[in-house]
Amino acid sequence: MKRFGIKKILGSALLLLIAFSCTSDLDYDQLENIKLEPVYVGNLAYFDVLANEFVTSGVEQNVKYDAPIFDLFNDAFFRKNFKKAELFFEVDNSITRAYTVDMVFLDGNKQAVHTASFFVPAYTGVVNKVTKTEVFENSQLDLLKRTINIAFTLTMLPGPALSESSPGNIKLRAGVTAYLVIE
Amino acid sequence: MKKIILIFVLLISINCFSQNKQILYNLTTVPQTLMTNPGSDVKYNWYFGVPLLSGISANLGSSGFSAYDLFADNGVDINVKLRDIVFSTDRKDKIAINEQIELFSGGFRIAGERNDSYVSFGMYQEFDFMAYMPTDLAILALDGNKDYMGKTFNLKDLSAKAELLSVFHLGFHKNISKKLIVGARGKIYSSIFNASSTNNSGSIYTTESSKGVYEQIIDSNFELNTSGITKYEDFNGSIAKDVIKKALLFGNLGLGIDLGFTYYPEKNIQITGSVVDIGFIRHTKEVENKTYKGSYVYEGAIPKFSTGDSSENGYEQFKDAIPFVTLYENYTTWRPLKFNSSIQYSFRDGATDCNCLNYDPDAIYNSAIGAQLFVMSTPRMPFMAFTTYYRRKIFKALQMKATYTLDSYSYKNIGLGLSTTLGPVNFYVLADNLLEYGDITKANSLSFQLGLNVIFKNSKK
Repeated sequence: MKRFGIKKILGSALLLLIAFSCTSDLDYDQLENIKLEPVYVGNLAYFDVLANEFVTSGVEQNVKYDAPIFDLFNDAFFRKNFKKAELFFEVDNSITRAYTVDMVFLDGNKQAVHTASFFVPAYTGVVNKVTKTEVFENSQLDLLKRTINIAFTLTMLPGPALSESSPGNIKLRAGVTAYLVIE
Repeated sequence: MKKIILIFVLLISINCFSQNKQILYNLTTVPQTLMTNPGSDVKYNWYFGVPLLSGISANLGSSGFSAYDLFADNGVDINVKLRDIVFSTDRKDKIAINEQIELFSGGFRIAGERNDSYVSFGMYQEFDFMAYMPTDLAILALDGNKDYMGKTFNLKDLSAKAELLSVFHLGFHKNISKKLIVGARGKIYSSIFNASSTNNSGSIYTTESSKGVYEQIIDSNFELNTSGITKYEDFNGSIAKDVIKKALLFGNLGLGIDLGFTYYPEKNIQITGSVVDIGFIRHTKEVENKTYKGSYVYEGAIPKFSTGDSSENGYEQFKDAIPFVTLYENYTTWRPLKFNSSIQYSFRDGATDCNCLNYDPDAIYNSAIGAQLFVMSTPRMPFMAFTTYYRRKIFKALQMKATYTLDSYSYKNIGLGLSTTLGPVNFYVLADNLLEYGDITKANSLSFQLGLNVIFKNSKK
């Protein structure tokens, strides 16, 4: 009688487990609401020019120019998901001449979509840094996303003459903080 | 992105794992136990499995979270739940699915002058999936790198494999003496499809720098090998027919062997051991390898004022440094190697009839307790499970095995198996993680096996 009880209990237990096992309500439609909001940081631009690079064979070269490619924002993934950008610029000048730094963001047709300009005074023996942060959203950001090149113009302003042995350098560091929303 | 998440979570929501068949192992009233140990002490004159119904098994497991954790309809924002999962799991957590269906199976005894030998054979279909939690990449996708200066995001976290295959097998076991039974099983694998990306390495690293604003280095050594998939991207024929053809030895072929033994040092003490799936598959048909290999230091736009002609080429330069390459090289995969062992102490419980002159322990003892160890190779650390069990012959036609298993999925895994033999008809149903059946959506692991066989035993013992 006792053993019959065990059989009955075991058999019933298994059947009951299978028959009455239940599940909580799961809602797979929630997947529609998944929204990733990562924030990435990266370099935007960099240069470091020594004072003597402004002098060639004893003659000052006052303007330097180049327009390297910068097409990251134009990538399909960024075009779609990039919602806000903060551009950070820092220019550090230890040359005894003042400079202007002009950065023109150009689209594929070489049209300017944004300009960032800085005046950096001549070095006087103390730390000589200029910093700036620009925020882009909505239509301004849409323009920025069209960037394919950044044209850099570094202009040396009048001041004490430089020679090929003049000390110091002018350095630009620029970074971007990209706020993405991926839905 | 959403598709990737959808596929990922659907796989998880099926929710199961690990190929550990701790209830079936050494349950010698069920012929399918021979698939876990070809040297099992299984006795039959002949048997055949009812086609498609003789052996159905599924193991599903997720060590870090359950379907409920992500999909519960509890008013909590899914993005909050997703974050909780990512930050409460780590790269050692894994999701695994194993499913097997026997298409046919059978066996017969070869009577020897002194001792019996047994042959068994069959074909089964198997699906394996295993993926580790790609923790670092998930954090990078959720949070980005802004708040993780100096952290190395490890691309090694990306490790997954999936395979659908059919297996033809022929096994032999022999009672060498009254104390020792040994067995071996040869296997031919026919892989229907395979996808494997388990040897990745590399990192994404960002820290503050005095040169640029950041020092950023991407180093990637990623490879995904696939076979049997590319054909279907633009396939006009019947995929079902093609899959059946591949299952019938027209897929990518491989060879394997199982080995095992059962030893009785005393009548009431039994030791068993087996190694299953010592084997490989050579992928030569419809093979494709996709790689992202290289390294890149990201510096942004750098004007070259000296020449006025910067050589940098933006995004193109990145793509050249870490190119996406598709190759068509053959490759080899190893089957997940499984090791089983057990020790069992048998005893008589209650006033059951006993033919105590018989050597067959099954005929003498109606109860047994024992312990089992299961180890399986994975792309990283081996998976291990320790089981203790109680086995009871409730009456002549009904065997019961209750198990308690400790593994990385659960420390409260209680399983129960019943095997009935009414006349020649043998039916078994085995299920574990019974405590989770209260709400299976919260289960981290579930497995079950069931099947129907026809077994004829001769009177000889």
